[in-house]
Amino acid sequence: MFEVGRLAVKIAGRDAGKVCVIVDVLEGNRVLVDGETRRKKVNPKHLEPLGQLVKLSKGASHDDVKKALKPLDIETQDTKPKSAAERPKKQKVNKKELAKDDPKAKKESKKEAKKETKKEEKASKESKSKK
Amino acid sequence: MPRGMHKSRTLRRVYRKAPGGAVKLHYRTRKPKGASCGSCGTTLKGVPRERPKKMMNMPKTAKRPERPFGGVLCSKCMRSHFKSEARKVSVNV
Repeated sequence: MFEVGRLAVKIAGRDAGKVCVIVDVLEGNRVLVDGETRRKKVNPKHLEPLGQLVKLSKGASHDDVKKALKPLDIETQDTKPKSAAERPKKQKVNKKELAKDDPKAKKESKKEAKKETKKEEKASKESKSKK
Repeated sequence: MPRGMHKSRTLRRVYRKAPGGAVKLHYRTRKPKGASCGSCGTTLKGVPRERPKKMMNMPKTAKRPERPFGGVLCSKCMRSHFKSEARKVSVNV
């Protein structure tokens, strides 16, 4: 009943109610299906065969299926993989520029400046004592 | 002793474990009936049984299976529906 080129309706899952063509009969009670549904392996229990046959070679490509189904007014679903969007690159953070904008960062920079001045004072004192 | 309002069964009872290990009784509002199939009446799977307010805050995909008649018909009835539909078409052809 499920031969290559047989039109069928999918009756289970999210593609239920959509018309498809059997493209290939696979091992282990599976059938390759294409058409209104996405091209996928299917258990024939999830298909209801229709009385129509379409001329298709075994393992026909998606484009062939598209051509074969055009006269029957069955729109095929193109499932080409989406081109991956470009990842946003990590930008190097310039701390000095951040300090200009951020009040918090400003405080930190002030603290650092204080530390530096203290160090300088210490150093100067030490140098004086040495003298 | 429980409060007077807690002696009636309008509120459902939930046992909760407290952090110390003691089991405490909590009182919650009752849940509504579960969603049922439109043709055979069995309770639907994949449809949560929650109060309307909680359902409101849930995303649509969490409230029903992603298939035609999802959340309306059970999968068996949906399949038989599409089967009969396909047979009608094939007879016409």
